Amino acid sequence: MKQRRSPITSVVMIALACLVGVPLYYIVVNTFKTQQEMAKSPLALPTSLFLDNYQRIFETVPLGRSFLNTLVVTIAALLVQLFVGSTAAYAMAMRASRFNRIFGALLLLGFIVPGQSTLIPLYRLLVGAELVDTLRGLVIIYSGGAIFCYFLIQAYISRLPFEIIEAARIDGAGPFQIYWRIVLPLIRPILVTVGIFQTMGIWNDFITPNVFLSSPEKSTLVLQVYRSVGEFSTDWPAFMTMSVLVLVPMVVFFVLTQRHIVSGLLAGSVKS
Amino acid sequence: MSTPLLTRTEAPSPAPVRAERSTWARARDASANQLFLVPVALVFIVLLVIPLTQTFYWSFTDFTGYSADVKFVGLSNYHKVLTDPSMLAGLGFTLAYTIGTAVLITACAIPLAVVLNKKFFGRNFVRSVFFFPAIPSIAILGLVWGYILSPLGSGVLNSVLQSLFHAGPYPWLSDDTLARLSVIVVAVWGGAGWHAMLYLAYLQSIPADYYEVATIDGASARQQFFHLTLPLLTPAIVISNFLLMTGGLKVFDLPFTLTKGGPGYSTYTITQSIITSGVAQGRYGLASALAVLFTFAVALVAVAQLWASRRIERRVL
Repeated sequence: MKQRRSPITSVVMIALACLVGVPLYYIVVNTFKTQQEMAKSPLALPTSLFLDNYQRIFETVPLGRSFLNTLVVTIAALLVQLFVGSTAAYAMAMRASRFNRIFGALLLLGFIVPGQSTLIPLYRLLVGAELVDTLRGLVIIYSGGAIFCYFLIQAYISRLPFEIIEAARIDGAGPFQIYWRIVLPLIRPILVTVGIFQTMGIWNDFITPNVFLSSPEKSTLVLQVYRSVGEFSTDWPAFMTMSVLVLVPMVVFFVLTQRHIVSGLLAGSVKS
Repeated sequence: MSTPLLTRTEAPSPAPVRAERSTWARARDASANQLFLVPVALVFIVLLVIPLTQTFYWSFTDFTGYSADVKFVGLSNYHKVLTDPSMLAGLGFTLAYTIGTAVLITACAIPLAVVLNKKFFGRNFVRSVFFFPAIPSIAILGLVWGYILSPLGSGVLNSVLQSLFHAGPYPWLSDDTLARLSVIVVAVWGGAGWHAMLYLAYLQSIPADYYEVATIDGASARQQFFHLTLPLLTPAIVISNFLLMTGGLKVFDLPFTLTKGGPGYSTYTITQSIITSGVAQGRYGLASALAVLFTFAVALVAVAQLWASRRIERRVL
């Protein structure tokens, strides 16, 4: 029984996809138009390669700076999350004492409790530590995501052949050596998967920067766009251009990591 | 999972001579090993236990963040939460959004996944387009949709409808009901493709023989879908809906960037309520009470999901 390739399916699905994709097409195509041209024919292809919108956005909105802010925060938070998550998973895998098992069960709390429930006390904590409105403060808040990383890494470690670690231990390797030289290289695949998901989560996050950052020069990309909307409330092509520019890094990231995302989607969801 | 771990650590040492030396080494290694738990314990206590306790405590007080004179007020914050119009509105819309998006996304994603599982011309294109909204920040998509759905005659949708059908302009985001529907529709637009991918991953693990046997037995495509595909997708449905429910209860970005919670409080969410009353207005007690109720709601969904997936595992496997 071979599945037939149905032309009707193609026609219907491509039409549906076009309907779903129209907003995206609309956004991109209008960045190359003047306001008059956009008002006259919003869905037509641009008549000429008009790049003034891009030039203007680069001149008026400090996208480079907010890009760097986002990059720094994402990398720092990611490193902290992966470090904390992997060390915890390693410790749990090496010793199954009663204390560790109870602690592991308690960590589930971090998996269930939504960020909003701790938002207000955390805000006061950062105010008290004079870390509110700093990128460092943001990284601290994001390190809470380590608990999520821990669960995914722990599930992966528990499936590893334990003989390798046992052999290293007999050969006289200490816990730090085993973690650094043996476990970390072994769990690289899950670190990549978790890392990709967390990168997208942190990069795209809006609520945390919106609550914790107030200075314009510390804005992350998403926050920057949100705050610049007012400036372009009548200049739609400019706003669309800004959106496209902000989407580019994430799209590039997605294209580069697509493979891992689809497989991780399955692994991550099965585990959660 | 705990049994293999136990056998590992309690495995007998090979030789008695080495065992004596390794008792020391083991004790040393064990304490060094526990050091690896310090970072996660720090994160757990500082970012979770302490703030959660504070939220819980403040929910019974009239704490405003400034005066040191904190009075215990019992359950009055909870009473206020359940009578305050803005908080009730937030609660109501969040629930409507959660249920609406869960039902609609499931109803769209399953058929979409079934179709995407078949071979047809342009499949990769269709798949990419449907999945795309999951890539960028939903906050930015909300802002863009704000332009598209602008209630003014110059809004994209309104001007298209005007030029095609001479209809409108419609108050997409300035009418209570339309605004609520708009937020939910945009959320479905943004989430259906992602969840379809999840279903697709499960569909691809169903052996093709099942369908061959069903076809030989004379089952129609409809029967195959309802009696074969759907039951086999149950684990995926549970997971997808768990993600939709918890994500729905936590929703903030999309309504906030699309409508700012308006018009009035019609698309106000629990999270926006917590942020506004807690961080901006300093009504810590009230916001904390709401946060506590919210935590229980999310925990309830999580426990229900765990229970449901256990039951399903037992039945299927």
